Order: sequence, then structure tokens, then C-alpha cells
Amino acid sequence: MNAPARTATRAAGTRTPLVDGIEKVTGRARFTADLAGDAAVARILRSPVAHGVIRRIDTTAAEALPGVLAVVTGADCAHPFGVLPIAMNEYPMARDRVRYRGEPVAAVAAVDAATAARALKAIELQIDPLPAYFTATEARAPDAVLLHDDKPGNVEREVHHVFGDPDAGLAEADLVRTATFTCAEINHAQMEPHAAVAEWVPGREELIFHSVTQVPFYTHKHLARCLEMDPAKIRLVKPFVGGGFGSRTETLNFEIIAGLLARRTGGRVALVLSREETLISHRGRPETEVTLALGMRADGRLTACKAEVVMRGGAYAGYGIVTILYAGALLHGLYDLPNIRYDGYRVYANLPPCGAMRGHGTVDVRHAFETLVDRMAHELDLDPFTVRRANLLEAPLFTPNGLMVNSYGLPDCLDRVEAASGWKERRGKLGPGRGLGMACSHYVSGAAKPVHWTGEPHAVVALRLDFDGAVTALTGAPEIGQGSSTMVAISVADTLGIDVGRVRVVCGDSATVPKDNGAYSSRITFMVGNAAIGAARNLRTELAQAAAAKLEADPADIDCAGEVFSVRGSAQSQLTWAEVVAAALAVDGPITVKGSFTTPEKAQGGGHRGGAVGSTMGFSYAAQVVEATVDVDLGRITVDRVWVALDCGFAINPLAVEGQIEGSVWMGMGQALMEETRYAEGLPLHASLLEYRVPTIADSPPIEVHIVESVDPLGPFGAKEAGEGALSGFPPALAAAVADAIGLDMDALPLSPDRVLEALVAKRRAAQRAKRREDA
Amino acid sequence: MTEALADFTLHRPESLESLAILRRAVPEARLIAGGTDLLPNLRRGLVDAPALIDLTALPDFAEIEPLAQGALRLGAGLRLADLARAPELAGPRQAVAEAARGVAGPAHRNAATLGGNLCQDTRCLYYNQSDWWRAANGYCLKYRGDTCHVAPQGKRCRAAFASDLAAPLIALGAEVALAGPVGERRLPLADLYRDDGADHLALAPGEVLIAVHLPPFAGLSAYEKARQRRAIDFPIAGVGAALARVTGGWRLSLAVTGTDSRPVAIAGIDDALDLPLSDDMLARIDKAVQKQVTPMRSTMISSHYRRLAASALARRLAQRLAEQARDAR
Repeated sequence: MNAPARTATRAAGTRTPLVDGIEKVTGRARFTADLAGDAAVARILRSPVAHGVIRRIDTTAAEALPGVLAVVTGADCAHPFGVLPIAMNEYPMARDRVRYRGEPVAAVAAVDAATAARALKAIELQIDPLPAYFTATEARAPDAVLLHDDKPGNVEREVHHVFGDPDAGLAEADLVRTATFTCAEINHAQMEPHAAVAEWVPGREELIFHSVTQVPFYTHKHLARCLEMDPAKIRLVKPFVGGGFGSRTETLNFEIIAGLLARRTGGRVALVLSREETLISHRGRPETEVTLALGMRADGRLTACKAEVVMRGGAYAGYGIVTILYAGALLHGLYDLPNIRYDGYRVYANLPPCGAMRGHGTVDVRHAFETLVDRMAHELDLDPFTVRRANLLEAPLFTPNGLMVNSYGLPDCLDRVEAASGWKERRGKLGPGRGLGMACSHYVSGAAKPVHWTGEPHAVVALRLDFDGAVTALTGAPEIGQGSSTMVAISVADTLGIDVGRVRVVCGDSATVPKDNGAYSSRITFMVGNAAIGAARNLRTELAQAAAAKLEADPADIDCAGEVFSVRGSAQSQLTWAEVVAAALAVDGPITVKGSFTTPEKAQGGGHRGGAVGSTMGFSYAAQVVEATVDVDLGRITVDRVWVALDCGFAINPLAVEGQIEGSVWMGMGQALMEETRYAEGLPLHASLLEYRVPTIADSPPIEVHIVESVDPLGPFGAKEAGEGALSGFPPALAAAVADAIGLDMDALPLSPDRVLEALVAKRRAAQRAKRREDA
Repeated sequence: MTEALADFTLHRPESLESLAILRRAVPEARLIAGGTDLLPNLRRGLVDAPALIDLTALPDFAEIEPLAQGALRLGAGLRLADLARAPELAGPRQAVAEAARGVAGPAHRNAATLGGNLCQDTRCLYYNQSDWWRAANGYCLKYRGDTCHVAPQGKRCRAAFASDLAAPLIALGAEVALAGPVGERRLPLADLYRDDGADHLALAPGEVLIAVHLPPFAGLSAYEKARQRRAIDFPIAGVGAALARVTGGWRLSLAVTGTDSRPVAIAGIDDALDLPLSDDMLARIDKAVQKQVTPMRSTMISSHYRRLAASALARRLAQRLAEQARDAR
């Protein structure tokens, strides 16, 4: 790997194994489903109909079955929920209408799984079908029945943003090209299926709730809302979580259902979803059509961009408004491109709701953009690297749509992957069927304005120091495998000058940790990292005072390194960690401090409608080169090798950063090569890990990771996000490699063998027709 | 897993005689060895079995036995992982080991057996789904319904047979040994299958596949499958090929799996080919495969693609084996 060289022996910047890794690799980690124990078994009855009016739900027979403990239906919860306060239109179980096949309509809790299954069969459900729409085009047809009465044309949100003068920009260009790209809907396919274990505490009328969530705070709020409970009577615990990628970035219906069932039974209920149900819960990346026009000068300088984006968002709002806004906002911030027009349409359809997924909103648009840039470079006989270099930003700046850019390592990323891949020497010389392609990408380091605007800081970390000398960091930041707890431990240890092992990170239990907005939009390192540093500084101040008193020095002159306190400039006066802790505790007992982080107003985006989305403290930047071979007989693409460079500002934990970059590349590869959902009249044909094709390790190429450090002025130790930025560059880099290998331009994702072969056949036929015309 | 496995009784006979008695006594029992096909289907409610008969205690069930003149008997209980590394399958019959290596993932191959692979259920997008899913879709011709969603006008099930091993074994002329109520019989493997996705095995009531017999073979063989991933996936199309010297030239045998409700032994290729294969001959092979396979919309990938992939693989394998034969001379 190509982690930056470090000189000092500091915690920040040292390759550190994840602090919760031992539990995971030894199997000791307990995930939500592991906590079921003797809990009642809950199951959900799902609508067999894609769109219809519920005429009758009769649960009498089910309730009468021996062993059935509770049955709930839409009648048991009249409160809609949803991640955006302005777009809450989903009930945990459908009330009057069902809008997709698989939507929950009732649920049971029983003594065992077989009884629960029998109970589901005993529920009588009568639905009068309505016309159902499975494409954005059908749903937008003038005579289409509305899925939601307040959304004419079945459009959840239209966005029209114009910055600069796109028409004038296109007129100035030497080359204008337009193309339409269709990107299939995909799903996170995280390893751990959804699960919740809910316990009602009789007498206390309290709910202890364990879930797989990435957003314990939101789930806590929505449980209180939907169950009409005082939030103080709910304890929300997030155990070990097996991946999220956005699938659990909002409260999900099964969570509310588990809460309702627990209260109804007055005991413990485990609701463990199958893979099929997990895929139906969805919240993945929507099917997206991007029509893009770009203007380019002969030297590669981009003059203007017009993008029209249509997303098929599924049956409910979810994060939809944010997604369609992100898609336009992140046209900005990567290149110097002042003239941008964006028209976005988020459309309802009778399919499982889409949501946030790694690279939220930007991936399909970035694919279209980079792919078209590559084609235009080819047409103008320019090297793709030259074109990118002709369009670089110069930080610090604000983009035309008001996004703050304080650090910009893209030029270094380009240099690194160009050299490492041997681009100049090797491109065009790899032999038949093999090619090189490149692309760039970026992503936010946390949304500068959270969806639940409370006025509170964006992040708070509390530290406790007691007689044992351990530093306990209390954080609400949900560790979901991304390494956030390790990041907190390193940030605290580095700031205090102590071993990482001395810091114990407690996360994910509302009974003990401060609230956190959750694991999404790559916010944790930037926000929680800064809060952790702030808390550690406050603790350091108290310890320095105690040490200074003992050493008869000025607290400002006290240093701590390697768990030894000393007076700056003096080798004699030294105190151990234990001595200073004892002295500090003698002042006023065990110490509790906190640190917080709030984004400055200027980072919170432009003043236009929807301008908060995309706003962030800083962007990560990435460039990557993909080498691929195409088997033209089978249409099959092999990814031979990937070189990727990511500017994450500063790698607090280079080991975790490398893992995140590899994971981003790999997830982008899945979308680029094979992942897609497919429905038969709204029934998911892909609802298993056999049919939803995530690449296997046998498909994984060597990935050479380069970390670039631009040191952001506001980031913790200069750090920015590292977990998403490299994803959206992969699909266009692969498409470019395929174009380089066999001269085939593809307008669809994924580049599955059937699509590639069909495109090849079509291309051969077109060539034959052209030849015949010529001969004639 | 919320789809609970229903209760069943498990029997484990230790002789063919006690197996025969059991099958008469419990005719509705299903046979199980590795369970990689049956157990997911049980969970999905595709199989209604109050009893399972575990075959793994039968004598010689997992043995490889060399027979006279270079013939070979493969016990039906051999694990695919065993086949993948068997020295007896490393030479001329390597297609069998290649096919075994290409099945699913390592954990499956450690459990799944030869017999189970050859007798596996046919597969279809409209069949290999949960009970909720199939109920919402009105079930299908293969199980509990009366419509084939793949070919609604048709009268028969078009689910595809996806055994990797069947293709090379048929290309190598394998026969199967079947033990039944009236003793043992032998059948060409190709004849074990019927062109009906809902009833694809030509087994008599009470019969069980106990071994595969491979005739003597001194030529070359290979297996290749088209799939999206390099592991896990069933064949979109799989082709087994065998090339051997015969009087007056070379004989090429091809069999295709994954496209139809049964493996397709490709007919109409000349018995005595000249090497190297001419472009004309390769085009004929390509055409023969395209004409004889009939993939339907039973998988996520289009039927048109499966047909093209089958013919491309056949053409390439034929050419590769022909080149190897030339190099070996």
C-alpha cells in the first residue's frame, strides 16, 4: 500500500487494527439476531399486490391460534414516519392503501416460527387492485393514478437549478455532445440481514430496543412518535452491526413493527428478516436516467453542463428529496465548471422505496459525466488526464452553488494513478481486448446541515476518567464496521498523548452515550473526530493543571507524550500517567468532560431552495485507473487491476482508510459489472444473494491504494471522509477501459455480459449495414 | 432465516436392502446427501417431505473405483470437492473435475455430492422464490399452479436444469447405475433426463442413483461455463466437450447444460473430423448448438444471451481441444 510516510510516533496516522476487530474475527461479537434468545418470534405479512385499496384485514382466526401472542395491523399505528420531517408519508404497516408488493400490512408474534407462519396464513386480507406503475415513464403518464394524492404527476420533487449561463457556455464550446445513460437500481446487500429485538418492560412501561440501525437517534425518535411514548421511556441499543452502506440510514418499518409487537405482547420479541425481506426493505440506489450535455473546448476545458436526471424512487418518500438534490449539487465541487443547469425529477412508482446508498445521489450522475468526458476527449484526441487537468479547481473557494472547498488533492491523485498505472507507457499497447480507463470522483465529509435541524451541535463526545486510569469515550456515533470507534480512540489518544489501548470507546446505547445523528453522509470522522479532539483537549487541560501543580510549572508548559507528563524544555521533571490521574482526581473526583462540533454557517450551502444538500465541511477527492479485458465471445469483462488515489485530507488510521477505499472500489465494481434489481410486475426477481449478484472474492482484482493528504484546515488532524469518494469513479473508469479495449461505448449500467454482447452484435450489424451502403 | 424448516423424520439406511424397505414403507420420503439443493427448497416450501432418507451411510457410496480396461465407477456420494481433486479425473477426463470445481463455492462443494448434483431440481426465476412470492404470483406449473410464467401459452414447465457435471459426463459417455425395488439397472446418463422441467428425471418409483460409470477414454476433455461471477453462480450455459481418436479421424462430443430442462447432447457433428478444425466446421458446431438448445426466460439473463454463450463456448472448446490434440501428436 501507499500510505503516507510518518515521522513522529503518534497515534493519529498510525496503521491501527480496528478496536472491535478481535470480537468480530473470533466470533464473540453479538449481532442483533444473536440476542433473540427466548424471545417471541415475529413475522410480517406483506402485500401480494403492487397497488390497491385495502378492503379488509381480518386477524380473528390468527389471534385465535394457540401460541399466537399478538397480531398488529396498520390500524395500530396512525403516525407516518420518514427520515425527512417534510416528507413523512410511510406507515409501519399500510393503512388504507398498499403501494408495493412486499409492503407490510400486518405482523404477528408467536411462540415459535412455525406458529408465526401459520398465523400469517390465517390472516384474511382483501385488496382491490389499482393500476400499478413499475417505470418512471408509466408513473408520469398524464392519466396515471396518483400514488400519493398530494403529488401530481407522481413526482415527489422537481429540482431546477441554474448556475452561470449554461447556454452561453455551450455556445462557446468547440465540441458539444449529449448522451443518455440508464443506470439500474441497485441494493446495498450488506452482509447482515435486518433484525430488531424489542423488549417491553411491564410495570415500568418501558421499551428496550436493539436494532441493526445506522441511526439510533432517528429510530429512537420515530419509535417514540409512532408508539406515542415519552422518549425517556425508550432505551435504544445498537449492538455489533454487519454493514450498512445506507440501508439503515433511516428508521425502517420493521423497527416500528417490532416495537408495536413488543408492547402488545408485554415481553420480548425478535423480528429477524430474511434476505428476501431485507432486499424488499430496500432503500437502495434508484434506477436513474441521466441525459447529459457537455461543452468542451479543443484544449479540454469544460464550458458548460446540462443534466436532466429522472429517478424511479419507489413507493414512498424516504430520502428521495435529498437524493435528487444531491444528484444536482454534486455536479459541482469536482471541477471548475461555472455553467451548470440541473433538472431533476424524483418519481414515485409501485416498487420498494429507494433511499440512501454509499455515494448517495452522485454515483449515476458521475458515471454519466465522466463517461461523456472520456468520449469527448477521445473525439478531440486529448488524453483523459489532460482533460481533467484542464478543469481543476484552486482551493479555497466556494462553488457556484455555494459549496465550501478548503482543500483539494485531486491534482496529486491524478499524478499518483497516472504514474502507478504506467498510463503513458502502457495505454494503447495492451493488445486486443484489453484497455485502460480512468475517472475522477468526490464526496462530502458529512452534511453540513442535518435533516433533523435542532440547533444542537452536530456532534458531541464525552470522556470519563476514573481511578482505573482508563479513558472512556462515550459517543453516539454508530460503529457499523466502518471503524468509527477506532477513529474516536485514536483521536482521543493522540490528543492526550496516551496509548490507543487506554481508550475504551462506548457507543450505541442511548442510556449512556450522548446523542449522535448517525452513520451517514460520511460525517463521523469530520464531525465526531473534531468533537473527540475537543473533549480530549478539555481533559488534557485538567490533567495539565494537576501535573503543573505537582511539578510547580505553568500548565501551558506541560506536555504529555507516551503517557509521560513533562515540563517543556526540562528532562528532569516527569510524571507518569497514573501519578497525574491520581492528582487530577484528588481535586474533585472522577472527571467527565465533553467536546462538541458545529459546522460554521458558511459551510451550510447556498441560499437557493435545496441548497443545504451537498453542503459540507470538505470533499474527499479520488482518481482511479482501471485495467480490463473484454471477452468478446461472451461479452464478459474481467477487471485485471485497479489503481486508486484518494485525498482524505489526513489518514487518521491509514489501515482503515485503505480498507474503505478498497471497499468503495469494490462496491463500484459491483454496480459497474453485475449488480441490479429486477422486478416481475413489482415482484423482486432478485431477492436472494444468488440472483442479486454481488461480486465474489474470485472476481476481485488487485487494488493498489494511494492515500493523498491535502490536510484540510478544518478537519480533525486535517482529515476528511474516506469511505465513499472513490466509489463513483469506478463505473466510468471501467466504461472507459472497455471503450479503450474494444471501441465499444455503452450507455447502460451494469456492463453485464448480456448487455455487452448485445451492444457488440448491434455494433457489428451497424458496421455491416454501413459497409453494404458503401459497397452499393 | 425466518422461513422455518418444517419438522421431519430422518432415516439413515446402511444397505441398499434397508433403503429399499424404507422407500416402500415411506414412499413420500425425499432423498438427501449433501442437502445443498434440498434444504433451501425445503425452507422455501418447494418440497413437502415428512421424512428424509440420508444416503451417506450406504456402502461404497463415496468411492472411486477403477474398473477393467480403464473404465471408472464414481460413487454417487462422492463430494464435489473430492471430484475436483481426484487423480483419476486429472487426465483425459479432466472435464469432470473442471465442472466440479466450477460448482457454487467451496463450502457447497464440501457438502454437495455427485448424485445430488445430477439429480438436482430444475431451476427457474418463478420457482426458486419464497412461498409468499410464489403465492403472490399465483404459483406456477412446476409446483401448485397451472401457468408457466416463462411460457404462458405452453403446456409444460420450462425450468432449466443446471447441473455442471451432467454436461462433461454426457460428453464422456457416462452411464448411471440405478438401484430400485427390482434390483440394479444401467442407463446412459443422457437418458436419465426428460424434457420437462416439472418432471425431469426418468427414475422409476423407488429408484435411486448410486453410481456413475465412465467408459474407457483416452482423448481430451474440457468443461466451461458462462456465468456472471467466477464463483457461486449456476451456469447460464455450460458446455462439456470430449475429443477422441476414432477410425478415420476424430470424434467430438458436446453436451450443453443450463439452457434447457435437461442437458442437451449436441447431435449432427461428423463422427470422423479432420484436425485442425476448419472455420467451416467451427461454424457448423456453432450453428448446431444454437439450433439445438432452447433457453427460455427462466433466468435473470436473457435467453438470447444464453444461446449465444452456449454456442460460443462450444466453438471455443472444440477449437481448444483440437489444438491440444495437434500439440500432443
